[in-house]
Amino acid sequence: MLKRQEAECRLKEIFGFDHFYDDQWSVIEKVFNKERVLVIQKTGFGKSLCYQFPATQFNGLTIVFSPLIALMRDQVTSLNNKGIAAQCINSNQTQEKNDAVIEQAKKGELKILYIAPERQGSVSWQEAVRQMKISMVVVDEAHCISQWGHDFRPDFRRIVDLVKILPVDIPVLAVTATATQRVQDDIQEQIGNGMSVIRGNLLRENLRLFVVKVKSENEKKIRIAEYLKNCEGSGLIYTGTRVNTAVYADWLNYVGIKAAMYNGSLEAETRVDIERGLQENRWKAIVSTNALGMGVDKPDIRFIIHTQMPQSPIHYYQEIGRAGRDGLPADIILFYNENRDDAGESFDEKLPLSFINNAKPKIPEYEAVVEALKNEPLGERGVMEKLNMKQTPVRTILADLVEQKIIFKNDGGKYEYKYDAPELKTESFEKLRLAKLEDLNAMIGYVNTTEPRMDYLRKYLGDKIDIPSSNCDNTNLKGFLDNSLHSDLWTNLKTFKNERFPELVPKKTSSLDIGYALDNYIQEAGEIGQILHHCKYENGGDFPDELVARMARMVQKKLSAQHFDMLLYVPPTISGDLVKNFAEKLTVRIGVPLSHDLKKMRLTEAQKIPQNAILKRSNVKDAFGFASPEILVGKNILLLDDIYDSGATMNEIAKMLKKNGAETVTPIVIAKTVGGDL
Amino acid sequence: MSELNELAYWMALAHAAVNTSVKNDVLIKCFKEKKSVVDFFSMSTQDWNSVFGMNLADVDALSRAKEQLANNAFAVENLLSQGFVLIPSTSPEFPQLLKDNLKKNGCPVLLYAKGNIGLLNQPSVAVVGARSASEISLDFTRKISSKLAKEGKVVVSGFAKGVDRVALDAAVSVEGKSVIVLPQGISTFASGFKQYYKQIIEGKVLVVSAYAPKVPWSTRLAMDRNRFIYGLASEIYVAESNEGGGTWSGVMNGLKRGCKIYVRKPDDGEKNANRILIEKGCSPISLGGENVIEYPIAVPQMQAVCEEKAVYNAEKKEPKKRKSRKKKEATLDLFEAEDNQT
Ligand SMILES: Nc1ncnc2c1ncn2[C@@H]1O[C@H](COP(=O)(O)OP(=O)(O)OP(=O)(O)O)[C@@H](O)[C@H]1O
Ligand SMILES: [Mg+2]
Repeated sequence: MLKRQEAECRLKEIFGFDHFYDDQWSVIEKVFNKERVLVIQKTGFGKSLCYQFPATQFNGLTIVFSPLIALMRDQVTSLNNKGIAAQCINSNQTQEKNDAVIEQAKKGELKILYIAPERQGSVSWQEAVRQMKISMVVVDEAHCISQWGHDFRPDFRRIVDLVKILPVDIPVLAVTATATQRVQDDIQEQIGNGMSVIRGNLLRENLRLFVVKVKSENEKKIRIAEYLKNCEGSGLIYTGTRVNTAVYADWLNYVGIKAAMYNGSLEAETRVDIERGLQENRWKAIVSTNALGMGVDKPDIRFIIHTQMPQSPIHYYQEIGRAGRDGLPADIILFYNENRDDAGESFDEKLPLSFINNAKPKIPEYEAVVEALKNEPLGERGVMEKLNMKQTPVRTILADLVEQKIIFKNDGGKYEYKYDAPELKTESFEKLRLAKLEDLNAMIGYVNTTEPRMDYLRKYLGDKIDIPSSNCDNTNLKGFLDNSLHSDLWTNLKTFKNERFPELVPKKTSSLDIGYALDNYIQEAGEIGQILHHCKYENGGDFPDELVARMARMVQKKLSAQHFDMLLYVPPTISGDLVKNFAEKLTVRIGVPLSHDLKKMRLTEAQKIPQNAILKRSNVKDAFGFASPEILVGKNILLLDDIYDSGATMNEIAKMLKKNGAETVTPIVIAKTVGGDL
Repeated sequence: MSELNELAYWMALAHAAVNTSVKNDVLIKCFKEKKSVVDFFSMSTQDWNSVFGMNLADVDALSRAKEQLANNAFAVENLLSQGFVLIPSTSPEFPQLLKDNLKKNGCPVLLYAKGNIGLLNQPSVAVVGARSASEISLDFTRKISSKLAKEGKVVVSGFAKGVDRVALDAAVSVEGKSVIVLPQGISTFASGFKQYYKQIIEGKVLVVSAYAPKVPWSTRLAMDRNRFIYGLASEIYVAESNEGGGTWSGVMNGLKRGCKIYVRKPDDGEKNANRILIEKGCSPISLGGENVIEYPIAVPQMQAVCEEKAVYNAEKKEPKKRKSRKKKEATLDLFEAEDNQT
């Protein structure tokens, strides 16, 4: 076998490094020995080299399963720069490119191939892999295997099975930067076959940890703005919800801090552009949900702020892990709203609690899916349509049913019920929920702890602590952020809230013109979203006049450059005359004549009922008409509704109006959701 | 060692370019030496040669099969994830009858299946006949198949046009049980799986194949898989046979093995070989309403010829307890006869 000295000569030649770290070498030795190893080492340790070096020494191909396209891309670029034949296959690349890569792999021209776990389900990949000479299999971000971890991904299930089936002389390496003892045990147990573990310590000395307790959501906004005005470099702000990515980004820009929002509902193109912008320091801060995270490989992220506590310390450790990869100091700040509601429930615990408690759909929904599949094989979309369900619960249910071997997915992408399938077992769901509640308590423990914060996190992750660490507000950095306590931004925040009217930007194919909403649909005390919810869904009576006044101000501020011939409102389903009454008050204030001629031609369901975009569209298709269509020719129309979610209803109306000759149709609404958070 | 971890090796052995008897010899030898297929493939080629007495060409072919192990692993995982089942011949799920009938020279090493694999070890009949069978034969097929299915017999057929398809659909229409033996790899049967979706999930229909999963349909395999149809059945019903066709050679084989074979008694003037089969020792039958009328056989059936050692003819000492039985015991069951004989 290759001796360390000889290996390090080759290392120098190929990678330009003089030595392996000792922990790296012990992994590499095992790999050469055809063993199976799980490596748990902190971010930036150099886990990649543990497989990249052996891969260059093997005859055949090393296949690396990686959950993130951005990660793959970076790795491939850096390997290619060193002259190592590496490629990736992913859904962001063109078909031609993927095909070409597969050809290279088949011809034996590649050393390393990165693919996403879900690729295992692709017919063409399966066809191709039959013809490749495989030397090693790597599972990157291996914590995704375990449901006890922070980022369980059902697609990794197949990788576990694959590893179990692989012949004994194919080395397997699984790597992760975040695994508690429980996750480690789970991975070991799942993969089995005597997988050994090499675990390093998870101390990140350069992270400066703070927890800031505040009295309100407004105070978070103020103190974040104050912090950003004075700090160095750029970084990330994590919000718990999509809607808050929009609100915070707008707020920061309003006070002159360059910020961009990022969340899973953005289109792929936009997301890639923001990721690039982050690398180029185009913004001071990216405000994001946890959709942005593992993939970020920027060495100099100088701060990571959480406006909301995540579900567990392991989530938190993983999310802050991206900061300061260059080893220089980075500020890690968690904001915590101490307010409690009348029931004594902590404001900031509500969101993670609801994530945990609603993680699994209701049991009857599982049963309904099983029944539907007993009848015929269906794809994800087929299930959504058949059962009127949203994508997220359908995904969860299908993944759980596959996991429990009740159904499986066939070559054509459809799910089939399995002969002799076991009964659905739900005890594990409850066990998981309780475990997550415990995790949340540990997170609350982090907020309140008086010990060194890094030690608290490390202990939770199963690290042994020899010397207590410092670098946090419980030790040497007490009171460090207090300068953000006094601020003259409070009046700015007030005007911001009064004048912020989120834009409604319809899809390119939509018949709507650009319009505005009074606010996002924010479910927080005193926010417009909550007032609306109360009136619409809890029989709270008419929308208050204050909202009418505000809407008039919005039209004046945002749309005064345009002339409108008439004001129309979306005819009601269940909410009765709320919108009509609103329109009658609004017409007086803005002086645009109101018409009642927009009519529903057939019964539709409230758009809240169809649970997905496909069904929403068909619910309202051709549902609207206009009493005297000839008068529409050349008209500029203001179209009023209460909530703008998928935009399907208003688009359908605009289509009809424009077909009849209307010139413009400008939507105005009370609240706009972000990424379907209705 | 877990069974999952052996499957890639079973695939390698099953599809290696060597004779079936060589593969079965490997298994027998491994059993005697208490080795698994994994152990076999971990041996050196010298050992294959010295311990197994394998000739160079076979060693070569098995080495090539060995190189495919990792690729097989990908294929196995893909099959399992789609609900297919792989049944190695040492598994208790593997049809005993197939071993009894096909023996060392013919018994496949690995079966691929989808559906209720329990059907493989239940009383079964094959209803066979030409693709171009006459309407009289098809009518006979329909009736006999539904009758046998109603009696609880598993109807084995090959999914060919004509008699096969009619036999299957007749069994299905009376909610009976059926096994479809494919002349192709199991992952090339998507349309069939769609068609019999309900029957499969209800456990009424099982699809099996002995070929590599991706192998397409071919006339050669259509001829070849007839052995498995006959091999999986304890009784054979022939609706119509032509001289020298696939049905014909299957029947001839069955007769040699001493299998009970019924042939539809032809009317005068029918242009087929049914009468010749009867003259060769098959039992002529006809249907009178629901009843099968069996006529005396023309000649005494020839005795089964024991050309090769009945390696696979394991004695059934005790009723099978399938699920609870451990794998090693199953292996024992399979090769005990050989042990006793030698
Ligand atoms: N032996 C070495 N000597 C010098 N530099 C090294 C060595 N090993 C790795 N590095 C460098 O360390 C950096 C981090 O490595 P790598 O990306 O593999 O980290 P990682 O452990 O995979 O982290 P993450 O958990 O963030 O994915 C890289 O720039 C790499 O080139
Ligand atoms: Mg890495």
